[in-house]
Parts: sequence; structure tokens; C-alpha cells
Amino acid sequence: MNLLLDKRQEGPPLVVVIDDDAAMRLSCRKILVKTGLRVETFEDGMQGLDAVARLKPDVLVVDLKMPGISGMEVISRVQQMDPSVVIVVITGYATIDTAVEAMKSGAYDFLPKPFSPDELRLITNRALERRRLMVEARRQELERELLKRRFVTFVSHQLQTPLAAIHQYLNVLKHLEGDPAAEARRREWFDRCLARTEEMLSLIRNWLTLSAIEGQCLARQRVRVDLAPIVASVLETCEPLAEAEEISVESDLPEGCLTVGDPDCLRVLAENLITNAVKYNKPGGRVSVSARASGGEVILAVADTGIGIPEQYQRFLFDEFFRVKTPNGSKKPGAGLGLCIVKRIVGELGGYIEVDSQVGVGTTFRVHLPAASGRHEVQAAQEETGAACTTEDIDRG
Amino acid sequence: MPPAQQKILIVDDDADFRQSLAFFLESHGYTVRQAADGRQGLLLARLERPDLIIMDLMMSERTEGLFAIQELRRSADLPQTPIFVVSSLYAKVPDFRVPPEQAWLGHDEFFSKPLDLPRLLEAIRRRLSTEATGETTQA
Repeated sequence: MNLLLDKRQEGPPLVVVIDDDAAMRLSCRKILVKTGLRVETFEDGMQGLDAVARLKPDVLVVDLKMPGISGMEVISRVQQMDPSVVIVVITGYATIDTAVEAMKSGAYDFLPKPFSPDELRLITNRALERRRLMVEARRQELERELLKRRFVTFVSHQLQTPLAAIHQYLNVLKHLEGDPAAEARRREWFDRCLARTEEMLSLIRNWLTLSAIEGQCLARQRVRVDLAPIVASVLETCEPLAEAEEISVESDLPEGCLTVGDPDCLRVLAENLITNAVKYNKPGGRVSVSARASGGEVILAVADTGIGIPEQYQRFLFDEFFRVKTPNGSKKPGAGLGLCIVKRIVGELGGYIEVDSQVGVGTTFRVHLPAASGRHEVQAAQEETGAACTTEDIDRG
Repeated sequence: MPPAQQKILIVDDDADFRQSLAFFLESHGYTVRQAADGRQGLLLARLERPDLIIMDLMMSERTEGLFAIQELRRSADLPQTPIFVVSSLYAKVPDFRVPPEQAWLGHDEFFSKPLDLPRLLEAIRRRLSTEATGETTQA
């Protein structure tokens, strides 16, 4: 399949023509070469098949009625050899039925004899377009596969790294049992083990959240909800982390920031933004969280006085697994899934997110969500769908 | 040579892993240096001239460990330093495609993460005792 991709850089597309009629071969060649294509012609099926195997053409033009191996036979063998070759059959008026048959067995189009140069060009162009789409589709498929493989590799690594560290602390304690120096550090190492366990749990939680969003059933309900108390409760849960990192947190959360959404989703959203602001901050830094309603929107802003994000990386911020490096080149713990989750939630709720960042000064994320209109009725939660999705997600995980 | 004069360099981007391993090796009498990435590892290797290097294969950049090993093997003053490769992702060193002139990965032994500490210690002892007897020029 790689050949299929690489070939395109070799120059103009290649058309192979198989026809037992010498005059037909000549005119096909002339017409197609003039349009800038590479053309190779062959007088019978055997030579033609050999050429297809060797040259891997983009398009094959084949006469149905030939002595020796028939056109139909050529089609079926090429289909087996390389289904990405686009096949056009040439046929006399009398054999339209055969042309239909040929298309059923995999030919893309047919040219009834006699045909004009324009007709040949038109159909060849269509076939080339078809080929281009096939190659493109294949490329996208490969990319998706790669991404999926990368996801598995990455998550395994993300889980194995903390596990290896925990394992090693425990192992060192075991092997150095009775060693006073090791005993003296037992407490510290247990704390490190606990921290790494937390890291793994959070990764798994995020991972599950993401897979739930992919199944498009994260926002299970659309209810009228005030952002302020949700954010305030998240701030409370983030307090210990902020204290540990020596970050002061200030908030301005007036009541009445009404939007329509799923309170659980909004909590996850606020949690991710606020923990990031604490994590990617400087010791003694500040996190400011504010919410306000303005112009049909509810805006949640989370600002930090942290390391900032270089401009060239800002567009990767919301990608899976992307993590900002700290100035000394290391990375903060985490899997790089948080902002990815935030972005998807915001999208689901019909909003958008802005980032404003300056290296060394800090970063501000602003989430804009549609405000709940005055007349907006509380909608019933779609509990049945929600419950079904949850079970499925747990099974999948 | 008594272990205290034998120096081991650990190159791994996970601080917990590095520090616990360092403690373990130090408590067995070795002098240990630590580096958090390939670049720092190379620098320390040149400065400190360790007797043995323990290198994590997969650091923040996928192939960082591999490149660091190649670089070490190419540098004229360190080509003989034994390198133990550790990795959590592979059960053996993966078969990467590299240009022919670098078509070897000059590591000496492979260990998968999590480490089997007694096995590692045994391998280090074996390696460093042969090194010590085999090289008379070592200061």
C-alpha cells in the first residue's frame, strides 16, 4: 500500500492501454500524452497484465474483445492484483451488455466505440479523479490506524511509567529491609507512591471521559444551570492542590451566569482548566477565575501567572496528548488529555474557547457558552440514553 | 576496584524511577549520577566518565534514548562504556531502521521496566568486575 502512496510523487499519472487494434493504441497514446499523462500500450492481455504488475498504473484502459486473454479476464486478475487500479473498458456498441457485466465485476466506466478524443479525455480524467479519491481515502485510513495504534502505545506508556516507579520504590524498600537509611525514607517514598497512583487514576478517568465523549453521550442532559456555584465547588476541591503548589486563588463568581448544559460536564470542564492553571503556574503564583454573563453569552475565564505557552505551540494545545514543556525542558505530570476534553465539551454545548498566552507572563482561557434565554424551559434529562452509554463505556474501558 | 569508586550514570526522565534506583545502587556502594534526558545524559557522560550507564530508551521524545546511545558510541572518549538499556514499552530492544553506518545499537544489556533489581545488580557487578580486570589503564 505504500507503493500506492509513493508513486504519486514520481511524476504524471500513468495510464496503461491494452488493445489488440494497433490504430486504437496509437490514437489513445497520442490523445492522452497530449494531456500530460504517461502512457504505456500493450497489444494483448498477457503483456498487459505483466505491465500492470510491473508498472502499477493509476488507470487501466482495456478492450473487452481481444484474442487470447479476454478483457473480462484481465479485469478480474487486475482486481485481485491491485484493487486500487481504476479500470475503464473499451467496447463496441454491440457489446453494451458485456460492458455492464464488466462494471459489475469492478470496472469503473466504459467507452463505447467509436469514441472521440474528448470522450477519452473526459473518461480518463474521471478515472484519475476516482483514483485520487481512492488514494486519499486509503491515506486517511492509514492515518487513522496510526493514530489508534499511537493511542494504545501512548496510554500503555503513560500507565507503565508511574507503575514502574511505584514498583521500584516498593522493591527498594523490600530489598533494603532493615537498612536504616532506607527506613528513614519509607514515609517519603510511600507519599511518592500515592502521588503516582493518583496520576494513574486521573489518567484512567480522563481516558474514560474522552471515550464517552467520542460516543457523543457525555452531555446527557441539557438543563438550565448556573455556572457560578459549579465553579465555586470545583475551586474548593482544587484548594489542597493549590496550597501544595503555593498558588493563591481568587475568584469572581456572581450568581446568574445561566447557561444550558450538563452540570457534570461543566464541572469536568472547570476542573480541567483550574487544575491546569495551578499546575502550570510558578511557586507563589496566582490563579484568577471569573464568570460573567454578557451579550447572550456566559463567559468563564481562568487566568494563571504561569509559564505561558509559546505561540507556535498554541494550536496544538487542544490535541490529544499534547503537553507544554516547562522552561527547564521537563513536563508536568499528566497525559495531555485535559484540554482535549475541555474543547469537546465546549463544542458539545455549542460554545467556543479562546486562549491568550504570553511566555513567562501567563495564560488565560476563556470559555464562551450560549446563555440560557429567559424563556428556556428546563428540559428533561435524557436519562435512558445516558444510562445506556455509561454501561457501554464501562464495558469498553 | 571497590564499588565506591565505580560510577554509574542513570538517564531516565522519571524522577521517582531515577531516585529510587540511585538510592538502591548507592546503598550497594556505587557512586551514582543522574540525568533527566538524553542531552543531559551525554553531557554528564562526558564530564563524569561513568563506568556504566543505565539508559531509558523511551524518554519524552520517542527515540531520544536510541540517539543518545548512538551519540555515546560515536564519541571517541566513551566508546567502551557499558550501556544498560531499560524500557517499559518493549520486552526487547525494538528493531529500528537506521542508516547502514549506524545500523547497530551499541547497548550491552537490556532490561525491561519495572526492573528486576537483584538481576540488575548482579549484571552490574559482573560487568564492572570484568571491566576492572580487563582494563589496566583505568585511573
